[in-house]
Amino acid sequence: MLIWWAAVLFGIAAAPGSTGRPVTVSAAISLSEVLEDAAAAYRQRGGGPVRFNFAGSNALARQIANGAPVDLFISADHAQMAFVEKAGQVLEGSLRVVASNQLAVVTSGDRVAEVREAFPRAGPAIRRLAVGDPAAVPAGVYAKSYLERQGLWNAYAARLIPTGNVRSALAAVENGSVDAAIVYVTDVQRARNVRVVFTVARDQAPIITYPAAVLLRSPNRAAAGRFLDFLQSSDGQRIFARHGFLPPPAR
Amino acid sequence: MDLWRITIFTVLTAAAATALMAGPGVLLAWVLARRRFRGRLLLETVVSLPLVMPPVATGLILLLLFSPRGPIGSALASVGIDVVFTWRAVVLAMTVMGLPLFVRSVRAGFEQVDRRYEAVASTLGAPPFRVFLTITLPLAFPAILAGAVLGFARALGEFGATIMIAGSIPGATRTLSVAIYTFTDTGRDREAALLLGISAAIAFGALWMSNYMSARAGLRT
Repeated sequence: MLIWWAAVLFGIAAAPGSTGRPVTVSAAISLSEVLEDAAAAYRQRGGGPVRFNFAGSNALARQIANGAPVDLFISADHAQMAFVEKAGQVLEGSLRVVASNQLAVVTSGDRVAEVREAFPRAGPAIRRLAVGDPAAVPAGVYAKSYLERQGLWNAYAARLIPTGNVRSALAAVENGSVDAAIVYVTDVQRARNVRVVFTVARDQAPIITYPAAVLLRSPNRAAAGRFLDFLQSSDGQRIFARHGFLPPPAR
Repeated sequence: MDLWRITIFTVLTAAAATALMAGPGVLLAWVLARRRFRGRLLLETVVSLPLVMPPVATGLILLLLFSPRGPIGSALASVGIDVVFTWRAVVLAMTVMGLPLFVRSVRAGFEQVDRRYEAVASTLGAPPFRVFLTITLPLAFPAILAGAVLGFARALGEFGATIMIAGSIPGATRTLSVAIYTFTDTGRDREAALLLGISAAIAFGALWMSNYMSARAGLRT
């Protein structure tokens, strides 16, 4: 009996490598749809299974630093990737940028004109503005930087509703709890009754980048690297473009 | 200091929630303890629901009801009252989550009151409400107090429903538990650890008191 169990456990432990075991990717929540599509396309081309863990990049970075068994990390900004690097978790030389994005000010469908008029002057119509927590959520950090550059930070600081990730900010607009939100322009595609008031021009906000890296502790480095290569390939980049993302900024 | 403000805010909202659950709680407890009626089991189950359902699920129900698009939320918004993402949402979440615990304790208290005393008071001419006020309530008081302390402790530690309908807005809805979560997520580990210590101390004290009072009253919740 004991021998049988030992054999079973040994069999499980010796299970097939790259094609059997999925690549686990912790990725910024704004990449939810585009990465699922990319994984499906990757699978069709003979790549292995990929599974995802989507959340705010800061939460993911902390999970990784605390030992989460992840193969690939795709962050929405360099700060959270740097945090993971500092924790010694990044595989040397594997860091690349896979995409870029733009911020957008959004509101519910029936209030676009009102918010468009009120936002640049921080008018009273915008009582609450949802953003990712500017303390660490990348979308929030970008949003704060944008507001500061526009001289609007002081006006909006007391009206901010900080959320745990950018999709929570979007959800707050969807259920009508806030008057507007600053999210990524790509987030709006699937949202119900949320419209872009305006897209933030690239020279008015910090450059948004999605750095990706294979993690040191990964038992699946080769497979993770191959998926990362796919994301950077022309096929992969086309999928990003289809979802509204911008190509990685030129060095 | 930021952390003290968070602590005081949490204690005040929990106290408000406890006060809010007192009236309906005592009423519900009395009805469940003393009255037999059709639908009693249903009432009992519904009241206990927040105790057993995942707190975030209860929070989602509250969000659907009280968001500006929801039935209650839109009615309140039309008279200028915001609930979601304000301190009112914090108190609401705490009240809803603490009420079942309070009701349980008070109900046990009412069930323990010797009906004979009430009967004696009645035969001496006291109307039912006076009997309740002067006999039943004082005799059940230790259980009510224990229930209040338990409800207060639950309110203090409330997180799931709170974060759903109140979020984590600094200075406005950031309770102790929500702050621990947010601080841990945003790298403020030292402050999170300090808040952890504060919340553990408060919870310990509250539970101690509650159990002590329950024991004194001869009850076990």
